[in-house]
Amino acid sequence: MATAISVRGLKKSYGALEAVRGIDFEVETGEVFGFLGPNGAGKTTTIEVLEGYRERTDGEVSVLGADPGRPTREWRDRIGLVLQDCELNPLLSVAETLSLYASFYGSPLAVREAADLVGLGDRLGSRAGTLSGGQRRRLDVAVALVGDPELLFLDEPTTGFDPSARRDAWNMIEGLRDLGKTVLLTTHYMDEAQHLSDRVAILRDGRIVADGRPDELGPQNGATVVSFELPDGVTPDELRSRLEAAVETSGRVVTVRTDDAQRTLYRLTSWAEESGVHLDSLEARRPSLEDVFLELTRG
Amino acid sequence: MADVRLVLVQARYALLTIARTPRVVVFGIVFPVILLVLFNSIFSSGGDPTVKFGGGTIDAQAYFTAGIAAYAIMLASFSTVAVALTTQRESGQLKRLRGTPMPPWTFMTAQIVRAIVQVVITVTALVLVGVIAYGVHLPGERVIALVVYVALGTACLVTLGIALTVFTPTVEAASTIGPFAAVMLSFVSGVFVSVDNLPNWLESIGKIFPLYHLAEGMQTCFVTGTSGTGLSGQNVSSLLVWGAAGLIVSVRRFRWEPQAAAA
Repeated sequence: MATAISVRGLKKSYGALEAVRGIDFEVETGEVFGFLGPNGAGKTTTIEVLEGYRERTDGEVSVLGADPGRPTREWRDRIGLVLQDCELNPLLSVAETLSLYASFYGSPLAVREAADLVGLGDRLGSRAGTLSGGQRRRLDVAVALVGDPELLFLDEPTTGFDPSARRDAWNMIEGLRDLGKTVLLTTHYMDEAQHLSDRVAILRDGRIVADGRPDELGPQNGATVVSFELPDGVTPDELRSRLEAAVETSGRVVTVRTDDAQRTLYRLTSWAEESGVHLDSLEARRPSLEDVFLELTRG
Repeated sequence: MADVRLVLVQARYALLTIARTPRVVVFGIVFPVILLVLFNSIFSSGGDPTVKFGGGTIDAQAYFTAGIAAYAIMLASFSTVAVALTTQRESGQLKRLRGTPMPPWTFMTAQIVRAIVQVVITVTALVLVGVIAYGVHLPGERVIALVVYVALGTACLVTLGIALTVFTPTVEAASTIGPFAAVMLSFVSGVFVSVDNLPNWLESIGKIFPLYHLAEGMQTCFVTGTSGTGLSGQNVSSLLVWGAAGLIVSVRRFRWEPQAAAA
């Protein structure tokens, strides 16, 4: 497979502030790549360098075989964008907005087709300013799609969606993958990243702290998470000595990370039986992307 | 050429946007017509007044018709563009547009085309009111000059409106400075008060700016009893120089991304 995006040693500073401190990653053609990190980690800065909005301070960057630091019209014709905090003209209708943006591209989709892709086919005559927040975001995505791009940058495309609109958006992004589009996605929802991404990279303080397939990501230790409610009259320290594992508490919830789930569960349940303690909400699971994310970006 | 179509598509949607903004329709089109009626009612009550103009005289009603038309051009071009583009920049609309393959010059040219259409509607309405209600006469040989002044004045003031956005970090700033400049300059440019009534130092200030030359040029077109095309080198060159200055500042310094939130 060809490489759609290649980043080597990318750095970006604003004055004395180093927003991105030397990162490397590649996105293959046809892949959905999740770019994750807490606010201020450098996600949007990195994406804006790749989109051609920002000049980098250092490093090698190639997007669709070209340097985004010198964006050309032909290059922009192959790229679709969903940006953060960018409104569309509230006084134009859905159809007018799509037809305006379609006119900029060499071989655009039909207005109707772009609207149908995001489920706005029945709102063509509505002005953008009268749409709900979720519908406006969908119009944003339709504007990104109307040029029929090869590569899409989706910067938090489902922010403000209700759960059913998010599911629809997921189906739509999966549809893009089926069409062979390459997607670079940022999101604050880890279930979304886990569900949609072929691969993810997690950014923290301007550096990539983990990357790979979402189900393969994880710390070397503590591959299973065991959790339950702290029983009355038991202290976390007492649990630590019994279980010989990393024990954390958050409110009433106790979380144990363990390499050997069988042994940990055996020790835990036999101690509970002996002590006549009942463990409410007991569960053991593989760490989700959210667990990994919190682990890696904590502090 | 495909890019010409891009200019027209963008101009069309810019016009639609204006037509759906009541503030612009009221202040840009209806308000100048009301002003014209008011001025001519106030200043014509004493019979058949004239204004000293260019060594001779001009009918006061023709003077105010042309002057208020120049003011309407200033509003439709300079003030409207400054406010609209600052609004679009601060809400991220321009940043979004910049990420498309659309060439920036087609966007800028579309602003001029949009303003010219709006100006043609407004100036036609004003001249018709002047001719029908106040018996203003436009000599046939001056029509070309009037068209030149309207087109050149509009293009000049649009580029200056775009240039103004460089100095307006917020919509608040643009919607204060844009209309304020239009009103202030109108008093020293022969729009609300005849230039003849101004002290020399005020007229000298007015003469620096393009609205003075646009108004004077358009008023020249309505002077009867003299011959000539109505085009003056001084007025045309002032509009050209200011237009070029606006263009240079716009090309070099125009920003597509929101400024208020910039780091």
